[in-house]
Amino acid sequence: MNELFVNMGQLSVLRNTGILTTIGLGSCIGVALYDPVVKVGAMAHVFLYKSHKDKDPKALPGKYADLAIPSLVQITINQGARKERLYAKLAGGAHLFANLPTKTLSVGEKNIRAVKQQLSIHNIPITGQDLAGNYGRKMRLFVETGIVIVTAIGKDSKAI
Amino acid sequence: MNAKLDFLQELGNIGAGHATTALSQLLNGERLNLVIPEAVMLPFEDVSSFIGGQEQAIAGIYIEISGDACGHMAFLLPLESAINLVNMLTLEESSKLSELGLSALQEVGNIMIASYLNALSNLTDMCMIPSVPSVAIDMAGAVWESILADAEVAETITLIKAQFAADATPIEGHILFLPNEEDFQKIAQALGLEDVE
Repeated sequence: MNELFVNMGQLSVLRNTGILTTIGLGSCIGVALYDPVVKVGAMAHVFLYKSHKDKDPKALPGKYADLAIPSLVQITINQGARKERLYAKLAGGAHLFANLPTKTLSVGEKNIRAVKQQLSIHNIPITGQDLAGNYGRKMRLFVETGIVIVTAIGKDSKAI
Repeated sequence: MNAKLDFLQELGNIGAGHATTALSQLLNGERLNLVIPEAVMLPFEDVSSFIGGQEQAIAGIYIEISGDACGHMAFLLPLESAINLVNMLTLEESSKLSELGLSALQEVGNIMIASYLNALSNLTDMCMIPSVPSVAIDMAGAVWESILADAEVAETITLIKAQFAADATPIEGHILFLPNEEDFQKIAQALGLEDVE
């Protein structure tokens, strides 16, 4: 089966068949959108909640939460999905370095907030999530079924 | 290669030389071979694969640098290497890392990074203060991207990588230095280096 890897800051879409995979989710968030009627799935590997330093934050549309969610919605629509049928599944937003001093929220928590806020703006329900904690994750979206599997070192894989 | 990367590579050479010497002393003189460090400027798209083997379990020690010249530094090693290193230090033969092992590892990272920074401080006459080190054991990709996110890297990432391996024991690792661009440009100018843009 066709497995498409979504690297940090990227987003990709598939229709009918294939797997969208993102590895190495630490504080980043894997966002999967799915329309079950037309079997269109999209995934982004969101790096940070918003752009601070990039000269052109739009150059990598999956990098920042505030740009990634609208872009994800758009690429699913371009493939025939309807916005009102989309739902989201999320993985990541962890805090790996346990004693790393954080002023307020950890980067992972800020990312979770930003992604959820964006999804709520677009009225996309979250039907599954495996977020926060102190460990890294790998996320795979099976486009034929919409099933999302999350794996982590030393843990059983789970469907969310 | 441009003058800026040349300069950073030389800093990496000196810093990593001191760091591996410090590690060698901790390991009772175990010989460590340092691969010549490389300084690179990578587009964001290529940075996640830079350390390779993203699903491999690794140990990462991460430090933030403040003072006259800021940046971020990490010491990454395969989990097996981390276990071998801790076993050599604690004279045990464990197949995993205990709480004690983790704090030993954190201290090793601390000593190596402090040696690296001391060498750079002496050379440049700049004050560089390391934070308390943090340790994570996880998939290489997740550890590395958490460091990059904490450093809030933008489109282009300047990075100095030094790689070493021990002679007699299977211990290898990387020391990665992400210097703050502006600070190190100032240093280059202060040292009278030409053609540093």
